[in-house]
Amino acid sequence: MNFDILLAVSPILAVAIGGLLLMLAEAFGKPMVLTGPQAGLVSTDAGAGRSDELALGSAVILFAGALISVALWKVGPESLPGAAALAPYLIIDRFTLFFCFLLCLGGGLASLLAGGYLPEHNLDRGEFFPLLVFSTVGAMAVAASGDFLSFFVALETMSLGVYCMIGLRRGNLRASEASLKYFLLGSFAAALTLMGGALLYGATGHTDFVGIGQGIATIGKSTSAVNAPLVLVAVALVIAGLAFKISAVPFHMWTPDAYEGAPTPTTTYMSVAVKSAAFAVLLRILVIGFGDPRLASWGTGWPTIVAWLSVLSMIVANVIAGRQESVKRMLAYSSIAHAGYTLIGVVATMHSGQGTPSVLFYLLTYTVSTVGAFGALILCGRRGAEAVSYEDLAGLGKRHPAAALAFSLFLLSLAGVPPTAGFFGKLYVFSAAVDSQLNVLVVIGLLNSVIGAYYYLRVMVYMYMREPEPGAPLATPMRSGFVVAALIVAAVFVLVCGILPNTSLDVAAAAGLSHG
Amino acid sequence: MLQTYLPMFVMFAIVLVISSVMFFGGQLIGPKNPNPEKLSPFECGNDSEGAKNTKLSVKFYLTAILFVVFDIEVVFMYPWATLFKTLGWNGFATMFSFIVALVVGLAYCWKKGALEWES
Amino acid sequence: MSSLGYVIEQYIMLSGALFTLGCIGFLVRRNVLVQLMSIELMLNSVNLTLVAYNRMHTGDLNGQVFAFFIIAVAAAEVAVGLAIVLAFYRLKSSVQSDEADQLRH
Repeated sequence: MNFDILLAVSPILAVAIGGLLLMLAEAFGKPMVLTGPQAGLVSTDAGAGRSDELALGSAVILFAGALISVALWKVGPESLPGAAALAPYLIIDRFTLFFCFLLCLGGGLASLLAGGYLPEHNLDRGEFFPLLVFSTVGAMAVAASGDFLSFFVALETMSLGVYCMIGLRRGNLRASEASLKYFLLGSFAAALTLMGGALLYGATGHTDFVGIGQGIATIGKSTSAVNAPLVLVAVALVIAGLAFKISAVPFHMWTPDAYEGAPTPTTTYMSVAVKSAAFAVLLRILVIGFGDPRLASWGTGWPTIVAWLSVLSMIVANVIAGRQESVKRMLAYSSIAHAGYTLIGVVATMHSGQGTPSVLFYLLTYTVSTVGAFGALILCGRRGAEAVSYEDLAGLGKRHPAAALAFSLFLLSLAGVPPTAGFFGKLYVFSAAVDSQLNVLVVIGLLNSVIGAYYYLRVMVYMYMREPEPGAPLATPMRSGFVVAALIVAAVFVLVCGILPNTSLDVAAAAGLSHG
Repeated sequence: MLQTYLPMFVMFAIVLVISSVMFFGGQLIGPKNPNPEKLSPFECGNDSEGAKNTKLSVKFYLTAILFVVFDIEVVFMYPWATLFKTLGWNGFATMFSFIVALVVGLAYCWKKGALEWES
Repeated sequence: MSSLGYVIEQYIMLSGALFTLGCIGFLVRRNVLVQLMSIELMLNSVNLTLVAYNRMHTGDLNGQVFAFFIIAVAAAEVAVGLAIVLAFYRLKSSVQSDEADQLRH
């Protein structure tokens, strides 16, 4: 038995085994005894009504996964030569470990938020937590995958859990509609990506990204058997499929609906973990698989396509986000805009060594800021009065200064105001783009940041400067240690990355991918 | 090659003969005196109605969904079974963990009552 | 190579046709179940492509193994999809995806 392998996959393995145990604990635990009119009856569903312990369990599992990733980072994946036997299906390098940490962090914070949200909104169903853990396992495997086969299996593991988590509120038409839409478009996108993979297999004889890259490199040589038009079709299909997952315009149609209809912790998880994992594999495919200079040269290859996706995402999302009445929907459009900013870094990747680290750092800052913003939104709502619209938040600054302050911090970070994490995230993405002479993209990105600041600041205007209309339902914060804990962790990350960005930047730099 | 598969072909032939004898024999020998009542799809005294779009209970869908999921996993067991000796203990351990995961899923379904028909 | 290549082209044409049909079916039809079937058609055309190309790339069985995994994962996907459609149907008594219109601002 090769122990290097076990050690190398230990972050994924630990979370997977933890998920299995959590699932058994959910089903076989002591059922809640009902109170109220049905007092004395034992609930038939053992998982119901035990969100507290299950949320704690899943948070512990996921944070343990994050810690194991850190430990493995310290040990260094290079010192585990036996782990190469897993390649190309799972590639354990610093890039993977960075994403394992990021995804476990996002998943763990989302499960803390769920621990407060689900009981408060009468949605106390235990399935949520095993689904969240398994979905995170899938997301980690997506980030680690170096082959279309493992990528597809991992992608579906991640997505199937998310589809179920969106539709958790079964009796609610909006929730089931959201999960239906996301399911249909998500499976469609997966099929597109898969067809791209199959065509690449046909063209190059490889399903692993390294082999595909080597095959593409032979195009033009007399000995080459690689069919160039086939490769171009495949590249387009793969990029389109992944653009669905990162919700870049024009593949974003599902995003606002799915984000709005889903329970807010699920929305958090989707905007954080699913997007990060999709960016991880996008980077890996583009750099390793499609890194050939002819495919990646400016003007003809994929950087142009990705740049257009980026520009469209930023402009369309920012224009529409400003017109939303619902804060949750506004945050959904904001996540599309952030996909656009991140894509600037992806485009820059092919032009300078600075590309990947800036994307990784941006995803870290985006993760903690987004978890915080959604968490603050969760904190502001109580049973029967979930805070969704701007009006709900009016006057919050006077009534509940702490909640308003936390919300403001995360919104400022999303807007990219110093000294928060979001500022440095944008700064490094834009400077990576400047290094690559992508000045037009940078100008568009900067203009969009200014437009974006408008709708983030609008929330703060409502919180601090508007008085609630008389008789309107008021948002009163819920009392939940879980949500507060998640907000504190997120706030610490936002401030640390904002004030002392050097450590996390060094880590991101060490995790970068390089071509060839 | 032919000798190996000969018993199988013989079996196919026997099955074919027996089933056609039973099928056509019944048609040939059995008494035939049809009337409208007998020809109606359900012979239960009153006219059948709405037979075309009967809504099936959700239980059927639930069972079918679980069947699809657990049934298809056998796809991975056949290749393993044919290469059992070549793959050795490593393959055994891999497959064992796969089956453990499936059993955990089955236990979950059971405990959650997804396998209960009467409820 | 020539006769074999010819055969592979036919398979790829067939699977391309199936994939296109699946795409069109998914985009045009509004019955969720038909859309699900269209996605299955697309996945099966991918299977056909992989298995056909495996004839060309002899020496390993990557394509066929991949097809196995797609079959298994597609089954799991269908299970979840049917559950979602069922939940939608119970609330709406319809399987038309254009009746999913609650989430508009």
